[in-house]
Amino acid sequence: MQSIFKYIKGDRVIWAVSLLLAIISVLVVYSSIVTLAYKYQGGNTEFYLFKHSIILGVGFFLMYFAHKLNYKYYSRISQIFLFIAVPLLLFTLLTGASINSASRWLMIPVINQSFQTSDLAKLALIMFLARMLSKRQDNIKDFNQAFLPIMIPVLIICGLILPANFSTAAMLFVTSLVLMFLGRINVAYIISLITIGVVCLGIFIAIVMNSDYTGRIGTWKNRIENYIEGDAQGNYQVEQSKIAIATGGVIGKGPGRSTQRNFLPHPYSDFIFATVIEEYGLFGGVVIVLLYLILLYRGVVISRKAPRTFGSLLAIGLSFSLVFQAMINMAVAVNLFPVTGQPLPLVSMGGTSIWFTCLAIGIILSVSAHSEKELEKEVSHA
Amino acid sequence: MTEVKKDIAWRVYLLYFLVCLFGLAIIGKAVAIQLFEGDELKKKAQSLTLIERNIEAVRGNIYATDGSLLATSIPIYEVRFDPNSGALDEEFFYANVDSLAWHLSKLFKDKSMAAYRKSLVHARNNGSRYHLIQRNVKYPELKELQEFPIFRAGKYKGGLIVHQQNKRERPFKLLAARTIGYEREDVLPVGLEGAYSDVLSGVDGKRLMQKIAGGVWMPVGDESEIEPEDGRDIYSTIDVNLQDVAESALLKQLQMHKADHGCVVLMEVETGEIKAIANLKRTSGGGYYESYNYAIGESTEPGSTFKLPVLVAALEDGFVDMDDIIDCGDGSKQYYDRTMYDSNYDEGGWGKITVQRVFEVSSNIGMAEIVSKAYGQHPQKFIDRLDKMSLRDPLNIEIAGEGKPYIKNTDANSWSGISLAWMAHGYEVKQTPLQILTYYNAIANDGVMVKPRFVEKITKGRKVIKEVETEIINPRVCSKETINKVRKALEGVVESGTAANLRNADYKIAGKTGTAQIANKNYGYSYNSRVSHQASFVGYFPADNPQYSCIVVVNAPSQYVYYGNLVAGPIFKEVADKVYANSLDMHEELKKQENFLASSAIPYSKHGEKRTIEKVFKELGVPVISKAKDEDWIVTETKDTAVVIDERRITENLVPNVVGMGLRDAVYLLENQGLRVDVKGRGMVKSQSLQAGSRVQRGQKIQIELS
Repeated sequence: MQSIFKYIKGDRVIWAVSLLLAIISVLVVYSSIVTLAYKYQGGNTEFYLFKHSIILGVGFFLMYFAHKLNYKYYSRISQIFLFIAVPLLLFTLLTGASINSASRWLMIPVINQSFQTSDLAKLALIMFLARMLSKRQDNIKDFNQAFLPIMIPVLIICGLILPANFSTAAMLFVTSLVLMFLGRINVAYIISLITIGVVCLGIFIAIVMNSDYTGRIGTWKNRIENYIEGDAQGNYQVEQSKIAIATGGVIGKGPGRSTQRNFLPHPYSDFIFATVIEEYGLFGGVVIVLLYLILLYRGVVISRKAPRTFGSLLAIGLSFSLVFQAMINMAVAVNLFPVTGQPLPLVSMGGTSIWFTCLAIGIILSVSAHSEKELEKEVSHA
Repeated sequence: MTEVKKDIAWRVYLLYFLVCLFGLAIIGKAVAIQLFEGDELKKKAQSLTLIERNIEAVRGNIYATDGSLLATSIPIYEVRFDPNSGALDEEFFYANVDSLAWHLSKLFKDKSMAAYRKSLVHARNNGSRYHLIQRNVKYPELKELQEFPIFRAGKYKGGLIVHQQNKRERPFKLLAARTIGYEREDVLPVGLEGAYSDVLSGVDGKRLMQKIAGGVWMPVGDESEIEPEDGRDIYSTIDVNLQDVAESALLKQLQMHKADHGCVVLMEVETGEIKAIANLKRTSGGGYYESYNYAIGESTEPGSTFKLPVLVAALEDGFVDMDDIIDCGDGSKQYYDRTMYDSNYDEGGWGKITVQRVFEVSSNIGMAEIVSKAYGQHPQKFIDRLDKMSLRDPLNIEIAGEGKPYIKNTDANSWSGISLAWMAHGYEVKQTPLQILTYYNAIANDGVMVKPRFVEKITKGRKVIKEVETEIINPRVCSKETINKVRKALEGVVESGTAANLRNADYKIAGKTGTAQIANKNYGYSYNSRVSHQASFVGYFPADNPQYSCIVVVNAPSQYVYYGNLVAGPIFKEVADKVYANSLDMHEELKKQENFLASSAIPYSKHGEKRTIEKVFKELGVPVISKAKDEDWIVTETKDTAVVIDERRITENLVPNVVGMGLRDAVYLLENQGLRVDVKGRGMVKSQSLQAGSRVQRGQKIQIELS
């Protein structure tokens, strides 16, 4: 045991939370995969169990390597990632494989794994923001020196994601704004930007609602209508999700006894939180929410402890991004938010989402591990 | 630096607080869903995931009186195919469609491989999800089908959709087809299937089904279902052997005379049980087919067979006696504007003969004279007498579609001066063959008229639910004296009258011929146009102690031979002969043989169950030396003076030794040990493939050879 801990650095609570979420993920995905298994593997649910377990295993390897690397290198890496992400996003937008008529995916050759380019872009942008914000701390309240150079990459990335994946773009935009707020950018600029954003969104919605486009815009239109009209006929997913929650009760139906998995779309991904509540009840739901809040809390602690602004912003930015996405996913499942396609980080099935989540957690752990070292050095120097 | 950190710190805490609120909101919403919308949603969930399915009750069987199966339900399948099943990809489909088409074509032999392939590909391209492969697929065919390429790829990928239905099957096909009948939607029910529909159909059950992955519905536990109550079985009174004789005798005669249709009914005198009922109708192709229950449904003018009730009436009312002399003249007699003829008009008529003789030779004029003399002044009295003998009432049998009897009343518009004379030989009245038979049966049954019945008992499994009782329609159609007189007359018909060709040494038949002209819708009875006849014979046997009554009616035989004795008589005789041959109680008793076993050697026995074998030997008075103690199973050895019995030990979970046993005992023993038995040959078990005394493995196969 001690020998394992020798290699594992950083915040142990985050390690524990990640492991717990991964275990829950295996349990719930294995249960809710049945429909998919029948569709593509002739009822062979083990196929998905193994596949999912392997993906999680690879994820933890990534996490391990990411946390071994000193977080100061991520400052440079963020730039490289960003330069890779932009052309990839463009490429995906033009040629990507379509799931739910959204061009979000690229097939990675050789391992034949679909890959959501926005996951990469998201990670890159948050790291990049942490870099920029920490670098410009001296003139942080200035418009030209700080706000503009930080805002431009945000707009480019979000703008490229937007056509294919509105919710990810919006989420990333909000995360960026939050990060900018944390990084002490002038609040007045942020508020005015939000105002402009809201107006633009209003115009956008107005255009969408008055258009008769099919395809992506059609999907958005339907979703907005569904949310506005509540119990509309087409609001099948939400209804199924609510049924799952209602029938789950306080302690749930028990592992593997979900019936709604046969009706819920993506019960192993978008609506996995509904499946959790159905099988493990409100109790299971509270546990999941708490785990994410603990994760964020540890992010806050790490951020506070980090000796340098970059580490501090990197840790809080990434942990917030993860937890925010988790909250959005769960909010969709309980019908607090309109239906979006956000997976529950680390819990939902899906290769790249898990890997990028693991990478992000690895980076947070790196901040935690290496800032401890730096602090030790400072103490010994002193 | 610390300034910056502090500035960041409060922002971080604020953010954390907000996220915590967000988390709280999520939990709150989940709780709200459960609390406020819970009940409604749960109901909705049930309607989506649970469904109450009907479980079709198995329809009861119809058995013949000897237990032969006359009608039963067998499962039959409708096979469909989902060529656009989500998991059935293009490559897999086209790689296997040729092979599938070849197999389908070979199995059903109805379409070429190319035609099958074309329809399958067409269905796939059309986006069909429910392509019909074949209806009425039998179980063995289905088993084969499930192994075909594509189909064998599993429930989802294979796209095979199978619906089970129950189909009614008659193992004896045409035999008594109309009487067994059928029940279909939108068609009036026919025969026993229709009459006993309630009893046969049972009560459908209900089962709660739950939807699981792959669109499959699975039953939810056992407690929530209503078990289907399977239909009861019916034992009909029909005797398959007699029915077969009746049907083939009828067929032979119909073919010989190219008759249009005919029927035979055989009834047990005392109980009214219908032992055989055959109806055949000529098809356009010249064959014969049971397409209508003439015996029950066809009400026609019976002709001379109706002379019996007429004679009974006259005797009963005391107008004539059998020895009275009647003047039948020269064979023709004028009644108002119509002339009545006797069959021997060409030969100069019967002249003056006794009433007995009038009946025996079936003189129309004689009968008309009797009735005119007796009832000329009070015709209504005649009608009332017939009415008293229940001839105007339908039998009200359970099978639907009985023809209505008709006897013209004096107040009818068409009543005329000749009505009485014509009714005397069976015109201006209408009776179905079964109604006439019922009347004759009453005469045979000492005046007790019983209702014909088709069902013996209703059973459930081996338990008898209801024994169907014989119903009495009329406890006394006439006096005992009258019965004795007319029975003598009926015997006379066969002894020396119109049906002398049926006379026979073994047993006596009593009966009456009938040759009626059938009212043709287009021509009436008109003599110069084509006339069709109805030849019949009705009677009972043995005449001294009537056991069975029988009627044969043949309609529209060829122009040249149409007399009842020649056309219908032989059918009657064939059926009667068969019944006689089968019924030991009708034979005169043979001299009893005393101790016929004593003269033979000690008999040989198979090995088997101790109790049974010992009982048999005891009954037969065979000396037994028993060495067996409490074992249930024994081996026997035949010695000079006795049979020696020794035990055969049967031990749980060890393969028993069944060599030397009969098939029944051997199979019982082996299957009780959980073995699957494969039998070869017949007789006594000669060898067994598994060593006796070796350990049993459940479900293992054992072959036994018999010789």
